[in-house]
Amino acid sequence: MVIPPFIIYLFVLAFPVVLSIILSLSNFNGGRIFGTGSMKIVGFGQYAKLFSDPYFWHAFRNNIYIVLVSVFGQLPLGLFLAYLIYRKIVCFGTFWQGVLYIPSVISVIVIGIMWNLIFSPFGPLAEVVNDVNLSSYQNKLEKVMESYDYQNGDAIENEMIDDIIRIDSRAAKKAFDDPGKGIVATIEVLSDDTDKQLINDLSNILSRKWSSDFLNKDGSSMWPILFVTLWCWTGMYLIIFLANMQKINKETIESAMIDGAKEKSILRHIIIPELQGSIMNCSVLCIAGSLNSFALIYSMTGGGPARITQVLAIYMYEKAFMGSPDYPMANAISMMMVTFSLLLILLTRKIQKAFGGENDEN
Amino acid sequence: MMKTDFRQERSLSAYIWKTFGYIIMLVFSLLAIVPVLWLIVNSFKTTVEFNSNMAGWPRKFFTKNYPGAWRAGDFGILFLNSVIYTVMSVGISGFLSLLAGFGFAKIPGKSSKIIYSVFILGLLLTTQTLMVPIFLQVSQLDSVLGLLFEKVGLCSAESFHLFYNTRFAVILVYVGSLLPIGIYLCTEYVKSIPTSLVEAARIDGAGYFRIFNLIVIPMSIPILITLGLLNIPTIWNEFALINILVSKTSLQSLPLGIYRFSGTLSSDYGKEFAALVIGLMPMLLFYLIFRKQITNNVGAGAVKG
Repeated sequence: MVIPPFIIYLFVLAFPVVLSIILSLSNFNGGRIFGTGSMKIVGFGQYAKLFSDPYFWHAFRNNIYIVLVSVFGQLPLGLFLAYLIYRKIVCFGTFWQGVLYIPSVISVIVIGIMWNLIFSPFGPLAEVVNDVNLSSYQNKLEKVMESYDYQNGDAIENEMIDDIIRIDSRAAKKAFDDPGKGIVATIEVLSDDTDKQLINDLSNILSRKWSSDFLNKDGSSMWPILFVTLWCWTGMYLIIFLANMQKINKETIESAMIDGAKEKSILRHIIIPELQGSIMNCSVLCIAGSLNSFALIYSMTGGGPARITQVLAIYMYEKAFMGSPDYPMANAISMMMVTFSLLLILLTRKIQKAFGGENDEN
Repeated sequence: MMKTDFRQERSLSAYIWKTFGYIIMLVFSLLAIVPVLWLIVNSFKTTVEFNSNMAGWPRKFFTKNYPGAWRAGDFGILFLNSVIYTVMSVGISGFLSLLAGFGFAKIPGKSSKIIYSVFILGLLLTTQTLMVPIFLQVSQLDSVLGLLFEKVGLCSAESFHLFYNTRFAVILVYVGSLLPIGIYLCTEYVKSIPTSLVEAARIDGAGYFRIFNLIVIPMSIPILITLGLLNIPTIWNEFALINILVSKTSLQSLPLGIYRFSGTLSSDYGKEFAALVIGLMPMLLFYLIFRKQITNNVGAGAVKG
C-alpha cells in the first residue's frame, strides 16, 4: 500500500538529492548524462570555487537576513498579535484574524509584482509622500505671503524671498542654482496668475521631491524585501499561535488573574512556556519557508539591481538557466541550501532540548 | 481601601492595554489590506490616469482593462491549467497519502518504519531547493527514453517528451512534493481509528483494500478536507517548480502567466493591474468562502509540519 506513493516520493524528492550530490561533484555540462561517457567525477572543486565566490557569500548573507527576519520578526509579531486577540484585549478577534491572514493566501507572484510597483521610484508611495510635502509647503508659503500682505503683482521684498527660501532651503537650492534670483524670476513670470495659482505653482517648484528608490540603492534594497517577507507570513503564524493558545487551560490564567498577575507576566510566565512546542515547530517551518523565498524575490527584483538582492535560490537559478549553464555549480549551491536548512533545523532542535522542551506533543 | 486602589490601577493598565491593542491591530490590518485594495482600485483606472493619479480613487471606473488583459494574456487557458493542476495533484496526493497512512498505521511490517522515517525526512526538504536537479532529472529521463524509443522505431528522440513540458510531469512533481505532509497527517489520523475495527474486518475475511475502501475512506473525510484546504492554495500559488518544468504557454499556470504577462506589458499599467487582480482573486475568494475552515485547519495542521 505504501509502494506507489513511495515511488513517486523517491522520484520527486529523494532521487534529485542523490543526482544533485553526484552532479555537484562532476564536470557535467549539458547533453546526456548517460551513455556518452563525457561526464566525469572531478571531486570537490565546485565547492572550493563556491566558497571563494563573493556572490555566493552575498546571496548567503541575504538568506540569513531573511531567516532572521522570519524567525525574530514574523514569530514574535504573530505571537503578540495572537495574544491580543486571545486575551480579548481587542474585540472582534475573528475579524482582525481574517484580515491579517489575507496576505498569506495571495499568490506570491502577485505580491512581488504589487510591492515592486508600490516601491517603484515614482510610484504611489512617492506620490503620497510628495502630496503631503506639497500641501504642507503650500500652507507655509501662504502664511509667509500673508505676513507680508503680498498680492501678486506687488513689488517683491527681499525679506519675503529670504523667508520663502527659509521654509525649506535645501529644496530651494535643489530647484534653483541661486534660489533668491530664481524665485524672483519665477514670480515675475507668473505675475498674471491669481494669488492662489501663484502659491500652487511656487509650491510645485519649491517643495521637497522624494522618490522611493529603495529597490535601486545598494544599501537599502534588501529592506523592502524583508518588509514584504514580514508582511506576507505574519498572519499565518498569528493563526497557528492563536489555535494553540486556545488549547491552553483557561483556569491557569484565571487563577493567575485572581492573584493579580499583569498582562505582561501572564504572557511571559504562562503563555510562552505553554506554547514552547509550537514556537519551536513554527521556527522550523519558518526556516524551511524562508529558503523558499525564490518566487517572491524573483518577481519583485529578480535578484537585481546588480545581484544586490540575490538569495541562494536565485543564484542557483541564474547558474543553471541563464546564460551558459553551469550545472555542477548550481547543484553545489542546491546542496549548500539543503545542508544549511538542515543545520538550522538541527540547531532549533538543540535549543529546544536545552530549554527542556518536554511538551513536544505537537 | 487597599483593594480599591488595586482595582483602579488594574483598570487603568487594562485601559492602556486596550487602546494600545486597538492601535496595533488597526495599523497592522490596514497594512495588510490597503495594498491589496490599492491593487483592486487601480485595476479600474486607465493607464493614462494611473500615471497622474497613483494613490487616489479612480475618477471614472474603467472596466475594459479586464477583458483586455484576459484576452492578451490568454488567461482562460491558464486558469483552466491551474484548475487541472490543483485538482489533480491535491486529489491524487490526498488519496495516496491516505493509502500510505493506512499502511503505516494499521499494517504491521518490518520495512514500513524505515520508509515512514524517510517520508518524515522529506518534511524538512523544500522542493524549491531541488529545482535544478528536478529539472535535470526530467530532461535526462526524456532524452534517455527518447533514445530508447528511437532505437525501437517508435518516434524520433528529439520529439519525445514524457516529462518536460507535459501536464503529467507537473502533476507528478506536485504530488511528490505534497506527499510528506499528507502522509504525516494521514498516518497520525488513521492511528486514531480503532484497530479492533480493522481486525474484526480481517477476521470476517476482508482484504486490506476492501477495508481501506469501506472503513478507512469514509472515516477519513475530515483529514482529507484538512489536506485539501491546506494544499489547494499551495499548489495554486506554486511558481518555482512549474517555472522550470513548463515552457509552453498553453501549459502554464495562472501565476506563471501573470509573471510572464507583467514582464511583457510593463508600461500598460491598466492591464497589468487587471492581470494581478485576476491572479489574486481565485484564492482570495477561496479564502473568503472557507475562511472559518481554513483558519481552523491551518492552526491545527500546519504546526505539525
